Amino acid sequence: MRVPRRRTLLLAGVATAVAIIVTLLTTGLGKDPSVIASPLVGRVAPNFTLPQLDGPPVTLARLRGQVVVINFWASWCTECQVEQAALDRTWQQFQDSGVVVVGVNFEDSTGAARGYVRTESVTYPVVEDSGSQTALAYGLRGVPETFVVNQSGRIVNRVIGPVDAAALASEINSMLRARAQ
Amino acid sequence: MNAAGTLRRARAGLPGLLVLIALAASVATLVIVAAGGHPPAGQAQQVQQIAAGLHCPICKDLSVADSPAPLAQQMRQEIAQKLRAGESADQIRAGFVAAYGDSVLMSPPRRGVTGAVYYLPLLVLVAGLITAFMVLRRWLRAPRPDPPGAGSPPLSATQRRAVAKAVALLREEEPG
Repeated sequence: MRVPRRRTLLLAGVATAVAIIVTLLTTGLGKDPSVIASPLVGRVAPNFTLPQLDGPPVTLARLRGQVVVINFWASWCTECQVEQAALDRTWQQFQDSGVVVVGVNFEDSTGAARGYVRTESVTYPVVEDSGSQTALAYGLRGVPETFVVNQSGRIVNRVIGPVDAAALASEINSMLRARAQ
Repeated sequence: MNAAGTLRRARAGLPGLLVLIALAASVATLVIVAAGGHPPAGQAQQVQQIAAGLHCPICKDLSVADSPAPLAQQMRQEIAQKLRAGESADQIRAGFVAAYGDSVLMSPPRRGVTGAVYYLPLLVLVAGLITAFMVLRRWLRAPRPDPPGAGSPPLSATQRRAVAKAVALLREEEPG
């Protein structure tokens, strides 16, 4: 039996529309809506000069040539406590290999930040972003959030939530190896 | 010089004096507003307008204008600061999009995949109208059913003979 051409076209159109909707739904449902890709990954990290809790101000541009791990945190953030040991371990492991870990305190008081640094034994430099301007420049959506900046000053990764020490170490090692070659 | 003449001169100078007082009051208001550090009413409205078009990044379904979160407050301050620095609304929005991506906008942009949000309903509407038109045209052009008996195919000779035979048989059976 011969199917009319018009009907074939109509069926093909409906099938295409259904296929598009199903594809969009399956790809959309497979993603976590709270994790939005940062447009900053691959771009030069926004520069900042921020006062350190204990020490001279930190300027990101002056750290060019080193791998920089920028961690936004707050004393009231419980997940920040979870990742604290991992960040400290990273700093201890790589500080002599051209890696800097910088903690950027977000929406906090100086007293609370100091108390946290003392009780949690934070050893890496911690700066204050009292006006949240650096947080806005980095498109921050909450804490903890960590940006990994390579030796050229470009953001290569953004981690939402607590960092994993092993994954971070592996990423840093690959950047250091690439630099050495 | 008499009193009436003095009064006349004073009345003649009154409009000029009133204009001077009004000017002085305007200048004083401007000075007070500038010293107070508050943005002029027009700029505050502009801040509100831009903030209403931006998602608060740490809230759920709240604009920067409506959110009480400290980060949203900071964003409103930054908008005001950038307006004072001479940036346009589009430049300010572009700055936030550069850091947060298109998701910071309350209304998705009319380009790329998100453009489908605007154009797909229109396409579906046009496709529906075309389909409805075609169905209606086909329905109107369809031949109407003939009245019973009209246009029936002619009977074959065999059929005619069978009918004649049946009629004859019926007549024979009829009484009288």
